Amino acid sequence: MSLQMPQADELVINNKENIVSELKKISKYVLFENEEITPYETDGLTAYKQKPIAVVLPETTQEVSNVLKYCFNNNIKVVPRGAGTGLSGGALPLQDCVLVGLGKFNQILETDFENRCVVAQPGVTNLSITQAVQHEGFYYAPDPSSQIACSIGGNIAENSGGVHSLKYGTTTNNVLGVEMVLMDGTILRIGGKNLDSEGYDLLGLITGSEGLLGVITEVTVKILKKPQAVRAVLIGFDTIEDSGNCVADIISKGIVPAGMEIMDRPLIKATDDYAKAGYPKDVESLLIVELDGTESEVDILIEKVLEISKNNKASYHRASTSDEERMRFWKGRKAAFPALGVISPDYICMDGSIPRNKLADVLGEIYKMSKKYGLGVANCFHAGDGNLHPLIMYDSNNAKELKKAEQFGADILKYCVKVGGVLTGEHGVGIEKRDLMCEMFNDNDIQQQLRLKQAFDDKNLLNPGKVYPVLHRCAEEGRVHIHQGKTKFPDLPRF
Amino acid sequence: MSGVYQPDNESQISDFIKKSAKANHPIEVVGYNTKAIGRYIQCSQTLDLSRMKGVVEYMPEELYIKVRANTSMLEVMEVLKSKQQMLGFEPVDYGYLYYGKSNYGSVGGAIGCNLSGSRRFKAGALRDHLLGFRAVNGMGEIIKSGGTVVKNVTGYDLSKLVAGSYGTLSVLTEVVLKVLPDPEYSDTFVIYNLNISDAIKAFSKVMKTSLEISGACYFPKNNISFFRLNDLNNTHSVLALRVEGQKKSVIERIESLQSIFKEMKQTTILELYQSKLFWKIASNLECFSNSPNIVAKISLAPSDTDSFVKQFCEDSVLGINNKYFIDWAGGLVWMEIDNSDPSYLIIEKIKKFCLQKNAHMTIVKSNITYRSTGSFLTSSSSELKSLTSRIKKSFDPKSILNPGKMYAGI
Repeated sequence: MSLQMPQADELVINNKENIVSELKKISKYVLFENEEITPYETDGLTAYKQKPIAVVLPETTQEVSNVLKYCFNNNIKVVPRGAGTGLSGGALPLQDCVLVGLGKFNQILETDFENRCVVAQPGVTNLSITQAVQHEGFYYAPDPSSQIACSIGGNIAENSGGVHSLKYGTTTNNVLGVEMVLMDGTILRIGGKNLDSEGYDLLGLITGSEGLLGVITEVTVKILKKPQAVRAVLIGFDTIEDSGNCVADIISKGIVPAGMEIMDRPLIKATDDYAKAGYPKDVESLLIVELDGTESEVDILIEKVLEISKNNKASYHRASTSDEERMRFWKGRKAAFPALGVISPDYICMDGSIPRNKLADVLGEIYKMSKKYGLGVANCFHAGDGNLHPLIMYDSNNAKELKKAEQFGADILKYCVKVGGVLTGEHGVGIEKRDLMCEMFNDNDIQQQLRLKQAFDDKNLLNPGKVYPVLHRCAEEGRVHIHQGKTKFPDLPRF
Repeated sequence: MSGVYQPDNESQISDFIKKSAKANHPIEVVGYNTKAIGRYIQCSQTLDLSRMKGVVEYMPEELYIKVRANTSMLEVMEVLKSKQQMLGFEPVDYGYLYYGKSNYGSVGGAIGCNLSGSRRFKAGALRDHLLGFRAVNGMGEIIKSGGTVVKNVTGYDLSKLVAGSYGTLSVLTEVVLKVLPDPEYSDTFVIYNLNISDAIKAFSKVMKTSLEISGACYFPKNNISFFRLNDLNNTHSVLALRVEGQKKSVIERIESLQSIFKEMKQTTILELYQSKLFWKIASNLECFSNSPNIVAKISLAPSDTDSFVKQFCEDSVLGINNKYFIDWAGGLVWMEIDNSDPSYLIIEKIKKFCLQKNAHMTIVKSNITYRSTGSFLTSSSSELKSLTSRIKKSFDPKSILNPGKMYAGI
């Protein structure tokens, strides 16, 4: 591992046997043999691998508390893990850590339609929450593309988004309560089925804290009734500028679409070749706008969006007339990962957020960088919420290209920050963007966050080495690497 | 050092706090000073933020507005209105409650108390609309968090933490709020004469539809007379359901409501203008205008509201008759508590209920004796209190910013 991680504690590593036997007194499921723990050596950021000293799979909150308390008392680092689908290396083990997997917490505890919420254990997948309530016409709004596999506990750790977050918010806007365990074993309940809770908003703080503040053992999330109607429009443009202007115009006309996605020419071609989505091939930029609400409302909005697109020089447009057609519009977009896998042996997926009106500027800069580095790039953009995912293509057989690709990625994120955006919109900082944090925050900001971490974990034992630079070093590091199409979860739709 | 200090800028605030921290002098942080929420505190110094006002940047297409923290909420609302936009959480005008007349106070004050209006159950609380901020912590350090974009997971989300921290963590200097388009049209469907149990059932029924209700409140018969609207009968209890959006869609959804509640004989519709007025009066707590009593809000699971109201607000057998109303589709009870009982027995009983039911009470208005001695929050577990104290210290190690405002000793 080239990434600098906190110094390993030799005492802990040499004491493995004893630690395993103590953990076995707490939990039935303690894994420590090489082949047993191999599946836990990495998460969705597969370029980095590290085996922990042991993996514990507790079954109850009390067991989690006992494991943490034992580790706290014996100064052993702990890395929590949900489904391990995260893209920023948040669940990467440390050489001297105990990995606490929440996989046994896989039950939906309560579906409560009177209070419009679901109480679930953290290992439950995002999609299964919707599946548990859809018979009554309800759903859970945040829909990260990996929703068939990612866990709700992991969603809380990362504050996961999805394509509908402009209208429905991200995880943080849809969580009502959690039960969590602090590093010293303290069990806390925050929030519940009510909307406002007492004191400092710990629920808001814990959401998106990337497993650094506590281990989530139960969640209560809000569920919504499905909209009556959903339709989408596919709009093509001859320039990126026109598509960006169209998005701005849609918003300034008072329309809040459920989703708005832009793809650039390289991605349109790659995804259409792969998924046969029927996209127009002679456009520079393709915009998908999804609208939901009552039947008549959606019809009116579709007309308005089409009119706005014409005023913004759209060269192609088509509105879906059936749900099947709408799904086809999304089919190419959702296949962005495997489609690129066909045309390039490897690629890195970046994740920056930018003000919507900077899209043309940022893409122009990315194309310039692409020429400078001699590497291809394709882009998709959650235009509704300003979240940009450039996919940088390279060949890992050429060692120089990997380094170039990583540098290219870092340059993109730095440019995102420069135009008023941020380093990460939804994948999290983890280890991936950790050393770029100084691009966005100064020492005061970082120190404040580190002091806050101390308030929860004064020994810095819970998931150390993540999010904040070790020794405040700011350098470029790795991104989401996909080699020969072999991701950790190749079938999962991404971003 | 003592007295009132009125800084012009962030670096003056930083210097002032640095000096105060060095000298261990506590500071009461004051914006418009309109909200008497929180414990009563006395500090040797007052940091008066009156001059820290003004819109910094408004980007309608980017859906955000950046303002200096002490900008008047009314000004922000008016600026947004000029572009047919609004703050989705529906700011509440607490002026009526405290002074009997309108006074929205400052943006920073509303953030400090995390105050959200009737649209909260649909659009989220104020904290959900705070995208980023700049502030000065208790060591005088200038810190920032978040940004202007809605999707941002870079570092801890400190915006959530400062919203509702009652100025005990840092002094906000600049904030970025998410804005939303103003709905083109709105109507309100009213059902008269329901008792509390049936009102809660009606909320539940309507929330199980996809009609996207954006306001759902209930006023009992004894707390309705202050509404003076042409189309509203103010002698019966009122359950009101607001629908917002495209005009055609609003009309269709109102028709759906009429069909869902067709067995209800006494209903009416408040159209656009009266609908807006109704929600303004309701959200602005005009029913408690100038109340001499204690006023509290209780956030609870909607399914517990019926039993709460029967225990603490209306019970003809026990002679309980506290003025109240329900908001947030059953998830919020606003109530008055008689000021004349010096033992505040009912408050202790409500706190007990809250602890049992995982609900939360905030006393929004009370007398100075209670504010000096009692707890205006439900009262946390010892574990939560200890964590709260450590969080406070991480921002303000010497505890000089609004000390004791939330909890005694923190």
